[in-house]
Amino acid sequence: MEFVLAIIVGILATSAFYLMLRRSLVKVILGMVFLGNAVNLTIFSVARVTKGLAAFIPENASTLEGTYADPLPQALILTAIVIGFGTQAFAIALFRKAFQKVGDDDLDKMNSTDIMCNEDIPGDK
Amino acid sequence: MLIAVLSGFIVACIVPLIFKLNRKVAGALLSILPLSLFIFYLQFLPNVLAGEKILTTFYWIPSLKINLNFMIDGLNLLFALIISGIGFVVYLYASAYLAKSEKIVPFYIYISIFMASMLGVVTCNNTLALFVFWELTSISSFLLIGFNHEQERSRYAALQSLLVTAGGGLALLASVIIIGQIAGTYEISQMSAFHSNLINNALYPSILILFLIGTFTKSAQFPFHFWLPNAMEAPTPVSAYLHSATMVKAGVFLMIKFLPILGGTELWMWLLGGFGGWTMLMASTMALKQTDLKRLLAYSTVSVLGTLTMLIGLGGEKAISAMIIYLFAHSLYKGALFLTAGIIDHETGTRDIRNISGLRKYLPITALIGVLAALSGMGIIPFIGFIGKEMLYETALLSGQYSTLFITISVISAVNIFAVMAYSGILPFFGEYKSPSEHVHEAPFQMTSGPVAFALLGLVSGLFAGSTVDGLTNKALQSIFPSASHHLALFHGFNLPLLLSALTIVVGLIFVLNRKSLVEFIEKIRIPEYFFPSKWYDYIFNGTLSFAEIQTKFLQNGHLRYYIFTILALFILLVGGSFFGFNTSGSILNAFAISIERSIAGIDIYDISMLITVLIASVFALLSQGRLSAIASMGIVGALISLIYIIYGAPDLAMTQLSIETLSVILFVLVLYKLPRFFTYSKLKTRIRDLVIALAFGSIFTMIIIFVSAYGKFDTGLSEYFAQTSYLIGHGKNIVNVILVDFRGFDTMGEITVLSIAAVGVYSLLRLRKQGGEQ
Amino acid sequence: MANEIIKELSLGFPIFFISAMGILLVIFDAITGKNKIINYIFAIAILSITICSAGWILFSQYYNEANNLVIHPISMGMLAYNGYAYIFDVIFGIAALLTIIAAREYNERAEFEYKEFYSLVVLATSGMMMIAHSADLLLMFIGIEFMSITFYVLAGYFRKRVTSVEAALKYFLLGAFASGFLLYGIALIYGATGTLTFQTISQKITAQDYNNLYLILGITLVFIGLSFKIAAFPFHQWAPDVYHGAPTVISGFLSTAGKAAAIFALILIGKNIMFVAIRTLDSNHIITLQNILAVLSAATMLVGNITAIAQNNVKRMLAYSSVAHAGYMLMGIVANTPDGWAGASFYAAVYVFMQIGSFAIVANLEDKDGEYLDFSHYSGLYKTRPFIAAMMVVFLLSLAGIPPFAGFFGKYYIFKTAIDAGYLWLTIVGIVSSLISVYFYLRLLIYIYFREATEQILDTSEPRAAGFTLLISAALTVLLGIFPSYLIELLLYLR
Repeated sequence: MEFVLAIIVGILATSAFYLMLRRSLVKVILGMVFLGNAVNLTIFSVARVTKGLAAFIPENASTLEGTYADPLPQALILTAIVIGFGTQAFAIALFRKAFQKVGDDDLDKMNSTDIMCNEDIPGDK
Repeated sequence: MLIAVLSGFIVACIVPLIFKLNRKVAGALLSILPLSLFIFYLQFLPNVLAGEKILTTFYWIPSLKINLNFMIDGLNLLFALIISGIGFVVYLYASAYLAKSEKIVPFYIYISIFMASMLGVVTCNNTLALFVFWELTSISSFLLIGFNHEQERSRYAALQSLLVTAGGGLALLASVIIIGQIAGTYEISQMSAFHSNLINNALYPSILILFLIGTFTKSAQFPFHFWLPNAMEAPTPVSAYLHSATMVKAGVFLMIKFLPILGGTELWMWLLGGFGGWTMLMASTMALKQTDLKRLLAYSTVSVLGTLTMLIGLGGEKAISAMIIYLFAHSLYKGALFLTAGIIDHETGTRDIRNISGLRKYLPITALIGVLAALSGMGIIPFIGFIGKEMLYETALLSGQYSTLFITISVISAVNIFAVMAYSGILPFFGEYKSPSEHVHEAPFQMTSGPVAFALLGLVSGLFAGSTVDGLTNKALQSIFPSASHHLALFHGFNLPLLLSALTIVVGLIFVLNRKSLVEFIEKIRIPEYFFPSKWYDYIFNGTLSFAEIQTKFLQNGHLRYYIFTILALFILLVGGSFFGFNTSGSILNAFAISIERSIAGIDIYDISMLITVLIASVFALLSQGRLSAIASMGIVGALISLIYIIYGAPDLAMTQLSIETLSVILFVLVLYKLPRFFTYSKLKTRIRDLVIALAFGSIFTMIIIFVSAYGKFDTGLSEYFAQTSYLIGHGKNIVNVILVDFRGFDTMGEITVLSIAAVGVYSLLRLRKQGGEQ
Repeated sequence: MANEIIKELSLGFPIFFISAMGILLVIFDAITGKNKIINYIFAIAILSITICSAGWILFSQYYNEANNLVIHPISMGMLAYNGYAYIFDVIFGIAALLTIIAAREYNERAEFEYKEFYSLVVLATSGMMMIAHSADLLLMFIGIEFMSITFYVLAGYFRKRVTSVEAALKYFLLGAFASGFLLYGIALIYGATGTLTFQTISQKITAQDYNNLYLILGITLVFIGLSFKIAAFPFHQWAPDVYHGAPTVISGFLSTAGKAAAIFALILIGKNIMFVAIRTLDSNHIITLQNILAVLSAATMLVGNITAIAQNNVKRMLAYSSVAHAGYMLMGIVANTPDGWAGASFYAAVYVFMQIGSFAIVANLEDKDGEYLDFSHYSGLYKTRPFIAAMMVVFLLSLAGIPPFAGFFGKYYIFKTAIDAGYLWLTIVGIVSSLISVYFYLRLLIYIYFREATEQILDTSEPRAAGFTLLISAALTVLLGIFPSYLIELLLYLR
């Protein structure tokens, strides 16, 4: 089970980073989404993975016994998913702004903060 | 005593005020400061002569052990008197020298700061506070060298001197910290008790080298000597004060102070003796060919500093007593000569010794000063310089198996200095009258009185050495060697040093009379440029600058994906590395085996189909040219992940994931639907490289999971606690929910706030369009 | 119970107050219409009250007694009311206050003033204070996210400038990436020890009840994540671009308070995990990690300073040097001793004042389109703008670490702790890089004081309210230089 999950996470992470290394801004954002999924899934799978048993306390009991899915990482991932969405929305808005400004989604067009090294440096003392 | 040191800083603050009140007398008024300081320190003389040490304590930063503790013993008092005494003369001198300059106000500010910090250096007993003052002298020296800042050369020299001396200061700081660590104290007066601990420590060589980098840079020893001649860009009073009489001696001062703490080893002797001797020889030779009056004097200063360093390196009682006399004599005659040079420059408008001669006609007093001071510097009987030189020869002769070497270089340098003194103090005043300026007339009283005093003092202290300087210099010697004492006398009988002195004078005279051919001879010695330390400075300086540019272009190219690339590469290195750190006896392969074996039983058709779908969707997202299809495959992957959550018992997650995924797909589509198709921006080679990096990264993720699943699980103590108590305390049966809203409700609050900030951000980015403000 | 609630409310007053007021301010934005001055004053008032209350708690040492109080009914033990928390509250508060005071006229000149600017700064501050008060890894993470997201928005605040939007984009993408590492690391630490609370983590480690592999991987990842936030090599590349592109006053805020917050997070990790783990049997990996960190710290100092040399743009020079300063602070973390943490905190505090001050000056000289940032524009400043020039001297000398300004004592303390911890080589690298930094700071000084003005410095006016920012930060830089012992002793006492 974990083995399959591990492979899936590997695929997701690989695609995430490949996308993030692209020049197109949209692809970079897509890569971030992939990465978020990969990380969540990693956390999920390094915790106790059990098929089918959710962390619900049965109707007639007050505590949970036996095997059950680890609830704490789930809470963590839930938080992460929601925050991830917030950042995603922000990213898309930011992208829109950048696209309006630059008129392109090529990241290489966005290096205006590059330094321009002046030649006269050694001379000015 | 704290007030005495700080008075300079306080006065620096009110200098502009004084000049506003009355510009004419302001300079004279300010000279009261060094004069009163001189008197203040003079009142300690009886106590010091009686063998007392005066200590004061003021807790400044006790937690860092930086305290303003001051100590007055013979050596400190000697230096303090030299500093305040020469300070007085220079203050007075400058009031006339700079009378017409508009920059006289900053001059007095800087020089007051300097004097205060210099007094701090020589009277402070706490090494860390000493360092503070030490760096302040570098800063004020920087400001004073850059005084004529319209000139490129001035700025260059100022920056160079600061980088060299402040850099050396930092090395000194490091050594002081280590010494403090080993000795457990930062008080100089307590350190000598730990002498053997220090010199036997494994760190001793590094301590010593760091320490010497600090003192050598300050005292212009080879290979750091080059800044001092360049520093002659400063106004002449500054050169006289900082760059010959006081600041450059700070390094020497510290070396004597630390002789009982770090000295007495072979390494000490060779480093100081070697570098000092070489500096002495080299600088005195270089001095011969200079034509600028001030550079001439500067090189001879470097040479004298070399002599002093060498003497400290030799390190016996005799050497130190010779050193103290030599230093005292030098401060007097060199101060006087610099001030004469200033007068000549001021009156004739040039400092080139080839263009001036016979000035005594118009500058009689100046000529007298020049001659008297030069004679002392040449070591002619009966000046104090003579005694100093005799003692130097005596020490060199007694320096053990290498005495031949030391005496030879001492005599050669003395001959050179003899000639240099004559060039600078005597030749300009004699012979046929020659001057580029028409209106040469004697300088005002403020400028001549001080140098006259120096010159006469050089004569008096020589003639009556036994009754004048003997007392204080003895105490100065005793602050290093408590049981030692010397007796100064002009005439020690006919002995080898006297003979050598005679030799020096004879050869020196030959040099003086044949200046032209001598200079020609020296110029013939061609040494390739790259042997000069001043060139090393330029190489290092320019090299650093061009390295900075190359490095910036490489690392900081502004391309986001290269940033990501760097990070990924390093991440793989770090995490992959720490991962393989655990790889004992092939445990990674083993982990694979275990994991596969354990998983194979549980794998069913759902798993396999899921795996394949994820793979296909991902590949599609990577390759697709259309935006919509890429977004769609992202949505598919998201949905599949929520499926995984369902299968593995996390329905809450699945619900959230699914709804969020839907939302983000909608968002994407809304914002991006009208954009053009993707372009293929990068080359195939780049894409393959990226793929390799991405694959490496992906496999690290995979490996971590496999490793974890093979070797032990997460600690689930806390989860079990929640499972036990969620209903009992939180009154909820869905544990995940209880955790979120109850046990860790605070986190959820934070999460909500984060979301709201993101919303504010989105709003603030998009509102502009609404207002139509900028498009 | 009620008694305890009141107690916690009064203990946590600064953080509760600022968070509540921050959210209120956002709502307030929506209803106040076009009048921006109200928000401005409101934000200043909130920050002042927060600083005063945190300061009062600090000096009355009210929290000491509270350490014994086990139950914190409101936060369920997720908030800590001890250690450096209140010191950092004050630092963050002052940083935000100085920023907001300087910001108004800057925004007005740029003809771009919106109300949310002030509420965002307040919110960022509450995020930082959340880090300062976190007793728990997850709360720390949320605080960092809270702060970061506000920063992304603030960096892109000048959305009419390409550079600003671009800065936000780079910052955001890389920052989100870093958060991923951080979260992952936290999850692994949880896996190793089964808990997220700092106190329990250190107990578990002392009792050797943890999984070494996860712990090391976890710490490594958390360090990578936090290295991003403090802009340490090689995760620093975003910093110059962002500090350059962001509104200048915000660059000052990001590069100081943001860095201080991340340094505090590092101190928390160091104190509760590294420091404890190094005493266990299995400490080899921790020592390796410490050494790697030392190398990174050295590289950060060198790279930051060497790159700063090549700059002819003052804002960018300050941005790069800010990377180098992160390296100095990191030395305190490398030392991994109470002295080291105190040193890093002291440095962070000092750095806040000197860097915000110098950025405020840059902001004042900048024109409406964000031009006039080159060294050459600063030549002859001492004649045209004597006040600003004098202030700049204080900041630059302090940044260069020249005594007797505060920057020197910060450096000295850090160097000393590094030597104490046996990292002599690191100190020597620190010294070399300080020397390099002397060059470019002094180079600016040479322009200001030693060169004549080549072109008239533009139409910008003398600072009005921003003058307060300058005066306060200069005063604190000088005072912390002359009397550093108060802060240092406080830090040492609270460790």
